[in-house]
Amino acid sequence: MASVHESLYFNPMMTNGVVHANVFGIKDWVTPYKMALLVLLSELGRTGAQLGLLERRRLNRLLLPLLQGPDMPLSRLRKAIEESCPHLASSVHIRLKLMAEGELKDMEQFFDDLSDSFTGTEPEVHKTSVVGLFLRHMILAYNKLSFSQVYKLYTALQQYFQNDEKKSGTDESDMELTNTEELEGKMEKEELDVPLREEEISCSGPLSQKQAEYFLSQQASLLKNDETKALTPASLQKELNNLLKFNPDFAEAHYLSYLNSLRVQDVFSSTHSLLHYFDRLILTGAESKSNGDEGYGRSLRYAALNLAALHCRFGHYQQAELALQEAIRIAQESNDHVCLQHCLSWLYILEQKIFDSCVLLEHSVNKSLHFGLPYLASLGIQSLVQQRAFAGKAANKLMDALKDSDLLHWKHSLSELIDISIAQKTAIWRLYGRSTMALQQAQTLLSMNSLEAVNVGVQQNNTESFAVVLCHLAELHAEQGYFAAASEILKHLKERFPPNSQHAQLWMLFDQKIQFERAMNDGRYHIADSLVAGITALNSIEGVYRKAIVLKAQNQMSEAHKLLQKLLIHCQKIKNTEMVISVLLSIAELYWRSSCHTIALPVLLQALALSREYSLQYLASETVLNLAFSQLILGIPEQALNILHMAIEPVLAHGAVLDKGCAMFLVAKCQVASAASYTPQKKIEALESAILNLNEAKTYFAKVDCKEQLRDVLYFQARLFHTLGKTQERNKCAMLFRQLHQELPAHGVPLINAFK
Amino acid sequence: MAAAAAAGLGGSDFSDLREIKKQLLSVAERSRERGLQHSGKWASELAFALDPLPLSELPPPPALTEEDARDLDAYTLAKSYFDLKEYDRAAYFLRGCKSQKAYFLYMYSRYLSGEKKKDDETVDSLGPLEKGQVKNEALRELRVELSKKHKARELDGFGLYLYGVVLRKLDLVKEAIDVFVEAAHVLPLHWGAWLELCNLITDKEMLKFLSLPDTWMKEFFLAHIYTELQLIEEALQKYQSLIDAGFSKSTYIISQIAVAYHNIRDIDKALSIFNELRKQDPYRIENMDTFSNLLYVRSMKPELSYLAHNLCEIDKYRVETCCVIGNYYSLRSQHEKAALYFQRALKLNPRYLGAWTLMGHEYMEMKNTSAAIQAYRHAIEVNKRDYRAWYGLGQTYEILKMPFYCLYYYRRAHQLRPNDSRMLVALGECYEKLNQLVEAKKCYWRAYAVGDVEKMALVKLAKLHEQLNESEQAAQCYIKYIQDIYSCGEIVEHLEVSTAFRYLAQYYFKCKLWDEASACAQKCCAFNDTREEGKALLRQILQLRNQGETSSTDIAAPFFLPASLSANNTPTRRVSPLNLSSVTP
Repeated sequence: MASVHESLYFNPMMTNGVVHANVFGIKDWVTPYKMALLVLLSELGRTGAQLGLLERRRLNRLLLPLLQGPDMPLSRLRKAIEESCPHLASSVHIRLKLMAEGELKDMEQFFDDLSDSFTGTEPEVHKTSVVGLFLRHMILAYNKLSFSQVYKLYTALQQYFQNDEKKSGTDESDMELTNTEELEGKMEKEELDVPLREEEISCSGPLSQKQAEYFLSQQASLLKNDETKALTPASLQKELNNLLKFNPDFAEAHYLSYLNSLRVQDVFSSTHSLLHYFDRLILTGAESKSNGDEGYGRSLRYAALNLAALHCRFGHYQQAELALQEAIRIAQESNDHVCLQHCLSWLYILEQKIFDSCVLLEHSVNKSLHFGLPYLASLGIQSLVQQRAFAGKAANKLMDALKDSDLLHWKHSLSELIDISIAQKTAIWRLYGRSTMALQQAQTLLSMNSLEAVNVGVQQNNTESFAVVLCHLAELHAEQGYFAAASEILKHLKERFPPNSQHAQLWMLFDQKIQFERAMNDGRYHIADSLVAGITALNSIEGVYRKAIVLKAQNQMSEAHKLLQKLLIHCQKIKNTEMVISVLLSIAELYWRSSCHTIALPVLLQALALSREYSLQYLASETVLNLAFSQLILGIPEQALNILHMAIEPVLAHGAVLDKGCAMFLVAKCQVASAASYTPQKKIEALESAILNLNEAKTYFAKVDCKEQLRDVLYFQARLFHTLGKTQERNKCAMLFRQLHQELPAHGVPLINAFK
Repeated sequence: MAAAAAAGLGGSDFSDLREIKKQLLSVAERSRERGLQHSGKWASELAFALDPLPLSELPPPPALTEEDARDLDAYTLAKSYFDLKEYDRAAYFLRGCKSQKAYFLYMYSRYLSGEKKKDDETVDSLGPLEKGQVKNEALRELRVELSKKHKARELDGFGLYLYGVVLRKLDLVKEAIDVFVEAAHVLPLHWGAWLELCNLITDKEMLKFLSLPDTWMKEFFLAHIYTELQLIEEALQKYQSLIDAGFSKSTYIISQIAVAYHNIRDIDKALSIFNELRKQDPYRIENMDTFSNLLYVRSMKPELSYLAHNLCEIDKYRVETCCVIGNYYSLRSQHEKAALYFQRALKLNPRYLGAWTLMGHEYMEMKNTSAAIQAYRHAIEVNKRDYRAWYGLGQTYEILKMPFYCLYYYRRAHQLRPNDSRMLVALGECYEKLNQLVEAKKCYWRAYAVGDVEKMALVKLAKLHEQLNESEQAAQCYIKYIQDIYSCGEIVEHLEVSTAFRYLAQYYFKCKLWDEASACAQKCCAFNDTREEGKALLRQILQLRNQGETSSTDIAAPFFLPASLSANNTPTRRVSPLNLSSVTP
């Protein structure tokens, strides 16, 4: 999850995690499209009084997106107007036609007349209204044009009109296509949802300023939220190069190119683009900022900070540290606390790569809150919670902290952080071994609607949070034996996060883990062994652990022991408590497999103490089961039964099906063992209840198709029936056992000794 | 005619200078007929350098064909319009002409008209985004027509050249190279085609894979491109052999040699050649910007001032003139005015690369870092291989106290000029600021090994060793430094020499090598800032010597002088690849 937090790099198109569409500052130029709008406005002024109320309202709603949106072809504009008021559309068209097919003086006359709408005792347009501002902008821009520019504008208008004529003449089918899309109604929504169509993307000609801005902000937000929907790296780069060829001053394109290069892990071009962007930014900053040095000093700081981020992403931690130091120094010199906070967060991330420390992070959270940076503060809290959860801090406090930061998120509607928070809760509940809670959180996130303004229609984004939650969901299902459902979820993951995308590694690991578990259950160790390599590639610690488990299952005890010891030392060093406990359990199992129960006991007690301390409840119950088994073998089944009562409840409530089966089997064994000293009457009762428990265990094992365990249970049950003298049942069990026994190879460990 | 000329060239030998002269004269005439002024100028300049021909051997005027005769009137009219820069008018009267000459002029005037309009458009476009969109509208049509003719093999050498130019303008570099090579084969005498080829070839590898016609023109081309690709040794060799072949009077070759010396920073040689050039060709403006750069580096104010005034009298609206004046003002520390003149140079020719970089330097002097960055970035946009701009960017960020950030830029500059010590020293300084002393040492050592221009690398290296308590290495470096300085015969900086001696004196004192120590201490006394220390040290040495055994009386020649530069003093470390730990580009 740590990499979620790395997304806190400074992004010029983003503040507090929200992508803004327009950060470039509008520069107004008269274009043919704008002239068409002007014609529309003047028509509206002329005939406005005759329009019906409904039409008026529809038109008014249409105007704003038209004024603010990118330039569009005349045909689309006409369609948009037609939907609101067909009558007006035709009159606009006629006037444009007159102007385009007439003479230059028609256009000049038109602009002369435009300013009339402001004059008079009761002007049609108020000077400071949106429309008024637009009109005045346009008139001003027009008046600024030189003679040749005016002529050029006129020829551009003619071309604009003729292109439309040509299109409507020849390509009727294409028109139809655009029609259906536009029939959906709301203009702005359609604009945002439908990814740029082929013609728009691959148009060799230049984009207009607005179009370019729109293109950039859209791609940037897609890169952040849903990589698969963005253009492929190659084609995006092509587009950007095209854009830069026509307008080398468009600095933001360099930034997008940097982000794009990051996608394909290209150090060289990403560094190049990043530095180029900031070189450009420094220029614009210096030009536009009135408050002296502040403008470009700021971008210098962020330039260094971004360079640090870049190096961190490529794993050059030493370089990143140097760059970060530089950023911090400059920020300190100019007293930029906001920048310093960003630096602090990055410093934390860097330190985390090297060694654990949460002092920095606490500082960061406090300061961020103080300077009113909710995004940064929440990220800090989340990192802190994550770290504390691993460090075994009290669960209620962590949940409290998450709840508090959730309040912040909802207040500022930071949807990305809300997603992360829920994903984190899922992970934490799973860590604590509360699968039902985890399941609930996962479902919450999945059924929540996205809050992002950019993606109103789309339900979810393809962010890391979703990948995490879906992976957990798959594993939870697999644990309960619903393998079909699990593989369905994984299939979905594969579709949403294609193998070469950013978060694909997550599901790859989970997929292999689930496959591994299945192979182990079925006793197909060679398959499990072949999966180990894949797991190791994605997570080395997990890989080593799995390797040890396979070795153990294949009865290569000494190798497994060696491996586990090494792993234990390593995990203790990096403080991966969860893994330490798992390893301890495996070691204990190795001991009791080699009949050294007395040695296993202290190991188990250590594991129990650890899991209690870190409140890893599920691991604790598992340890208790192991402990009980050892006690059983050591001949104190009463004691074993006693402690089993502690563990059985959480196991049945939250455990995997396999664990449930094992637990019930163990209970039955203990019951039988302790019944030895009972009176005959009580003994029969105890045996009967043991049989019931065994039945339950059997259903659990059957669910996960765990034949070996099933065979053991049947054997045990048959023996019990035999003792009770129920021949018929005994024979049935024996027959089932015989069937299974023929299917499976016999293995060396005596049946009664195996607990798992 | 073209075929005949090509046949006459036969191989790259210069034995028949008369033949060469004939060819040059005829091609100059033919270039002029087609309005290709620059190629004509080049050929005539070269022809001028050769001995004059007797009347009987003068090349006959090109024979007129039937077609030429038919188009003669239209051609004559159009040519005069063309000379008056009325391209559209010229093209109008040439339409339908079939003869090669007229057809070329027809196409060429259409091309030039498009270019002229493009330049005019740039001034008043409709919006910021349109700025880059202005393009020569005629190019596409020209390409279509020319490619048809090309397929039909109807283009002569000049036509192929024009086709290549059109392709290059459309960014079709690969096709353009092929066409230019073809043009060079068909008409090797046309210098323009060769020159275009020079601009398109970016590295030595590309050059290797070109199949060029085997003529004497190829020698000029190779020499030129070697200069462009910074392969100065090879270029100088080529030019020398050309001079030996009989072109000793050519101003073109002389100027190219001067530029080559400038590129390897052999300032004295370059200066003397430029002075010679100005004597031969006093009204020359070309390459004078390079000359002024040299004068600037040497801080020769009066000479630069004379040059500036002189050029200003000849033609003040030339890019080179503006550049020289800019340099002049810069040397006089009037940086605003200097920047103004560089801006004017850019207005005259927006593709004039040097001015962007120089303007960046001026802004740096004015402490206007953002404008400097802008200027340098522009320079890089025009030519990515401009190491001075990369270096300038690095310097700018260094001034802004961002040593880590500027590493990238210095590294770029270093990549482009791997054997230039200035970038290495700059890199080393940055690493030193970042406290990456190992890297810094590598850089300084490398800078020394590739031949340090400013002689500072060794001192810096020594100081680093001093910091790291590696006294022996530090002493070694100081010794080498002193030897370096003395072998140059001039004392560049007293301060550093004195520190070197002071350190050495103390070092030898610690090592109890009294003779060496006292020699160094005596040297110390020669400098103001170390005199007292030197004297004190001498006294101490004397005391200790008196206490100890009597020293040997014979004092050998001072070890640090070049005379005693013995074999064991040579650096033990060889130049190894500069293996900086940073993996970044």
